[in-house]
Amino acid sequence: MIGAAIVTEKLTRRFGNLTAVDAVDLKVAAGQFFGFLGPNGAGKSTTIKMLTGLLAPSSGSAQLLGLDFAAHPAEVKRQIGVVPEGMGLFERLTGAEYLQFVGRMYGLDRPTTQRRSEELLDFMQLSDRPKTLIADYSHGMQKKLALAAAVIHGPRILFLDEPFEGVDALAAGALKALLGRMTERGVTIFLTSHVLEIVERLCSHVAIIYKGRLVAQGSLEELRAGIAGEEGSKTTLEQIFLSIVGQDGSQQPQLEELSWLT
Amino acid sequence: MADLARIPGVWEQVRLVAGLRWRILRNNLRKKNNQWDLIGIIIAGIFAALAVMGVSVGFGFGAYTLMSGGHEAWIALPFWGVFLFWQLFPVFTAGFGAGFEFRTLLRFPLSLRAFYIIGLAYGLADFAAIASICWLIAMILGATVANAVVLPAMLVISLLFVLMNITLERLIGSWLERILARRRSREIFFALFIGFIVSVQFINPILQRYGHSARPWVGQVLPYLAIFPPSLASRAVIGASQNHFGDTLLGFAGISAYALLFSAFLWLRFAKQYRGEELSETAAPSHSRVRPVARTAGQSDALRLLTPQVAAVLRKEFRYLTRNSFSFFLLIMPPVFVLLFTTEFAGRHPTAAKHPVSTEFFFPGMMAYLILILMAPAYNSFAYDGKAIQSYFTAPVSFREVFLGKNLLQVAMLAFELILSIVAFSYLVALPSWPVLLATIAAIVFFISGQLSIANWSSLCFPRKLNFGQMRGQRQSGMAVLISFATQILLGGICAPILFMSRWTGDRWLPAEVFAFLAAAAIAGYIASLDPLAALAEKKKESLIDALSR
Repeated sequence: MIGAAIVTEKLTRRFGNLTAVDAVDLKVAAGQFFGFLGPNGAGKSTTIKMLTGLLAPSSGSAQLLGLDFAAHPAEVKRQIGVVPEGMGLFERLTGAEYLQFVGRMYGLDRPTTQRRSEELLDFMQLSDRPKTLIADYSHGMQKKLALAAAVIHGPRILFLDEPFEGVDALAAGALKALLGRMTERGVTIFLTSHVLEIVERLCSHVAIIYKGRLVAQGSLEELRAGIAGEEGSKTTLEQIFLSIVGQDGSQQPQLEELSWLT
Repeated sequence: MADLARIPGVWEQVRLVAGLRWRILRNNLRKKNNQWDLIGIIIAGIFAALAVMGVSVGFGFGAYTLMSGGHEAWIALPFWGVFLFWQLFPVFTAGFGAGFEFRTLLRFPLSLRAFYIIGLAYGLADFAAIASICWLIAMILGATVANAVVLPAMLVISLLFVLMNITLERLIGSWLERILARRRSREIFFALFIGFIVSVQFINPILQRYGHSARPWVGQVLPYLAIFPPSLASRAVIGASQNHFGDTLLGFAGISAYALLFSAFLWLRFAKQYRGEELSETAAPSHSRVRPVARTAGQSDALRLLTPQVAAVLRKEFRYLTRNSFSFFLLIMPPVFVLLFTTEFAGRHPTAAKHPVSTEFFFPGMMAYLILILMAPAYNSFAYDGKAIQSYFTAPVSFREVFLGKNLLQVAMLAFELILSIVAFSYLVALPSWPVLLATIAAIVFFISGQLSIANWSSLCFPRKLNFGQMRGQRQSGMAVLISFATQILLGGICAPILFMSRWTGDRWLPAEVFAFLAAAAIAGYIASLDPLAALAEKKKESLIDALSR
């Protein structure tokens, strides 16, 4: 049986009176390509921040690779890679300098860091501007660099917050192939994206968070099966998503209210 | 076609923009840090208002004295003062103003006329404009009390003078905005600014030495100033007081011509912006493909004594320092100050003091002043990390290592600067006696180690993001500045009784011994503080990331 890479129990985060993430129980098996979906403000980024050490939970726990995050933060961080919201790059370094910085922060020796930096820059097609500062990179180039930095130490879990946003089609194709190969080698990928087609194509398992609560979790087949109707097997992820988060009607746009526009 | 009921008028649009600015200010106050900042701004505002009122009294009294004492010709001086302040002050504070750019309003259906008027209105809401108008009013009052005949001329010329100054200030501001939109030009501007500030310090010594011989040259240049607006304004006033209405009309016409000329140029600038002038940075030009030379595995690492994480932070900090023109230029200041102050107060022929100050006092004082300048950035040491602060929290490192890396660079920089300054000092004046030299060095170690722990705490508790090479909207955290000053005063307070005891007991070695002990205690305290600070960083990470990611 494949072990669990990520397990959360009653993971909760409150900001004053607002409960952004409410008792979320997640289970992600090792080697899964896992899509984490939800409408804007549902609690996706808050959850990722709690799973990557950027935010402390108000209550509940998170275990990554069998280690409790709160008890073993350094051991957990050593085994995960993160492309955080806003990327968080040191913009006054060059791409190579940044990758070397990150590699050393994860404890890689200098020759290994140097070699991996060059390989990653080549793969990401960023090596033709060795003296360009990250501040002068385009958004897509910064995204690719953030992804390179997230994998330089060979993480066992990779957290990606909107990884393909702003990346051109050519690079996106290469990245998807890379991520696919990583999952084949047992790396767990935890991804959020608003582009449901990408999630549907890449992810084997999906969880949907809505108003801070986990409302669905499972493989795409399981989610399709959960939707009533004979056409279940033909249901797209978008239909599943809308049927779950829009089921109380509050998320459906009320076009008749905009009659002056339509 | 949009079903607009009506197009709002120009003044309604101005009112909407004013409302927008008010809401931005009010909403900013939801954050605690911004509330502290507002308190600081209010205190600064009270002092600024007092200063403006004080100077207004000076302008009013000056105008009265000149007009009543038969020195009407000198009325040009206050006009020049107002003119130079109005035009130069906004240039020097261009980077420290609010971050709101009224050009963003262009997405709305503003007419060019409304855009122009709103642009001018922004010019009126400027500190330099408000202060200058207060001074002009004071001048009108002073001149009128002295000679009521000049009132109509003063009113008309002041109105034209205000219009001309607002237009010119907006024109210069608009060009500055265009020039400073590029990072490289911002950095060059910053370098020139700092160069200017440093150069100003040398005016007194230069005047002392060359002032006398420059007088004839100044006398030759002065008549050419008559064609400039302040001289034209004074010509109009003098004409009115002496019943030479031709001069008055010439003054009016001259200022009006300037106002029209600047308005035309400003209209052209705003029209260009209105049509969608692109100011943002473009991507850097592509360089030819140059593969970095791979280092061999056996190559030695200059920082191998440090852990990889501390070495990585240290390298990153060094690269940031060398790429931050502002920080880099600040490093030039200490040796320059040593040069300046020794010229003014020490050496064989001081320019500002009758007798040279004793090296025994001057050397420790100079070093304390340099530490005051050089330690200031340490109190907000994450300022330039911005969003990348997240990297420290996602990586498997303790903040103990992050602080060690940052502090090592700060100490190395301080050591380099102080050694350079001591060498310059010994060359220009002379080193003090051994007891004073060693006591100063021990006190430096005590000051730096003692401050680093507090500075690290301040960096965690009162962070404020600063952007590289950018001046607009750049202001240090008010609380960090306050803590920095309080710490320096506290440490200074500890020094005072030690020096007093030395004088009282006549033991010249006492300060060196006590400071050596205090330095050792401060170093131990610094090391002991690292783990609690790392724990504090974990507690404060949300506010830290929030403050630096804005």
